[in-house]
Amino acid sequence: MKLNLDQMTKRYGDHVVLDAIDLHLSDIRSLVLIGPSGGGKTTMLRILAGLEQPEEGRVRVNDHDLRCSEAELLAYRRRIGMVYQAYNLFPHLNALENIMLPLVQVQGIEKHQAKEEALALLERFNLAEHAFKKPVALSGGQQQRIAICRAVAIKPEVLFFDEPTSALDPEYTSEVLDLIEELREEDMELILVTHEMGFAHKASDYVLFISDGGIVVQGTPAEVFEKTTNPRVQRFFNKVLKYN
Amino acid sequence: MKKPKQVTDLFIATPGTSIARHIRLINVLILAGLLALLFGFGFSRLSYEFRWEAIWRYRNSMFNGFLMTISISLAALVTSVLLGIFFALARRSRIILLNYFSHVYIEIIRGTPLLVQILIFYYVIANAAGLNNRYVAGVVIMSIFASAYIAEIIRAGIESVGTTQRETARSIGLTKRQTYRHIIFPQVITGVLPPLAGQFASLIKDSSLLSIIAIKEFTMAAREVNANTFSTLESYIPLAIGYLMLTVPISYLMKRLERRFYYET
Ligand SMILES: Nc1ncnc2c1ncn2[C@@H]1O[C@H](COP(=O)(O)OP(=O)(O)OP(=O)(O)O)[C@@H](O)[C@H]1O
Ligand SMILES: [Mg+2]
Repeated sequence: MKLNLDQMTKRYGDHVVLDAIDLHLSDIRSLVLIGPSGGGKTTMLRILAGLEQPEEGRVRVNDHDLRCSEAELLAYRRRIGMVYQAYNLFPHLNALENIMLPLVQVQGIEKHQAKEEALALLERFNLAEHAFKKPVALSGGQQQRIAICRAVAIKPEVLFFDEPTSALDPEYTSEVLDLIEELREEDMELILVTHEMGFAHKASDYVLFISDGGIVVQGTPAEVFEKTTNPRVQRFFNKVLKYN
Repeated sequence: MKKPKQVTDLFIATPGTSIARHIRLINVLILAGLLALLFGFGFSRLSYEFRWEAIWRYRNSMFNGFLMTISISLAALVTSVLLGIFFALARRSRIILLNYFSHVYIEIIRGTPLLVQILIFYYVIANAAGLNNRYVAGVVIMSIFASAYIAEIIRAGIESVGTTQRETARSIGLTKRQTYRHIIFPQVITGVLPPLAGQFASLIKDSSLLSIIAIKEFTMAAREVNANTFSTLESYIPLAIGYLMLTVPISYLMKRLERRFYYET
């Protein structure tokens, strides 16, 4: 994917959340955003996913200019996938219906074909036995994996994740991360916010450290995780890695 | 360890366990006995002589009133649900005038007694609008009255579908209309059915006030019988039982619906 941000600024009222960000990346397949709480990672991700508009500057993802009308943003969102921390699935629909809904209503695929595709996906990720269960009847890990299936089903240009494992019981973390890793190996393009530093290190090919409304450090995982001398970043690693 | 059997076990339920059949039966019988005693005492003090044959002649008019109450309540239920949906959506509308109108409407209707609404609507608004059929007027009044409550029920239902789901719908690329159609309404309907059943029971009871504008519904029929025969209790006891015959099954249905959706969601 290609990302081009010029002097992009996002405010909530007087509060500047992202301050004049410049970023130019190309040929990235898996971008990971890390950083302290409240630093602006979610805001950044939401802007890149077309859910939020910055007040100033330019944002381009691949060939899409994201300073545009709501209708154009809607069209953009229909081409990407998004997975939140939790409660991604609609509670009144079973797993299969959750996956079919965007296929049928948004992508305009015939019902029987959507069903076939959804079942194939569930089959592939060993979730077939849960196809007809409602979200309440599923574990957090299963729910997240089905949410990922739903996002993948539309064959998105880019797949976005906002801390997909941080609301899960630890025992479910690895099954979700494994699935993301599998998608990455299949050349799905990803942008991911995570607190799982081990996974961030392994699964990214570019890392942004976002804090206090700016990109403090950026680079390959080796550069950011191993070689950085930035005290702000080192302090953060010391904190999050304390008990790992 | 099992507790020794005690007399109190017959009367005090253990939290978290269902009450055994025979214990339920015993308690129901005792309650029925107590109520019978209470009413028996009350009536014995009245030294009232029941003359059921006097009102038996009016059974047809009572039954017609009963049917009229059902028809008015059913008709009012349908229109008040439609009105309620409209006002609930208007209440969330970005069109300020619509929003304010809906707000004021709901406040006025919920803040004034039904009796006053009936009188004002019938003698002022219906009169001015040339609405002469009092039965239509009755249905309109009851619909207006119930719609304000139903609007709030539906609004609460819409709001109970959380912001995370709306966000998800947005990120999937659903339009606003699609979000209502596929995400919000299906959940609102299941959540709103039990309180709506309760509202229907209220409609049935509240429609008794329509007797003041001489609509021949159930209560009016009983009042007429009373006026003609001077058999007050013989007129009003069947009235109470008739209302219970309608409201008790609805209340039962409401509980069933609640339980069903509780397990489903
Ligand atoms: N809708 C909003 N309205 C007002 N302020 C907001 C809003 N969303 C985020 N903020 C503020 O923007 C700042 C950045 O928030 P953001 O959610 O992007 O942080 P984050 O890096 O994702 O943090 P976390 O790791 O806790 O998720 C915070 O100070 C937050 O309070
Ligand atoms: Mg966040």
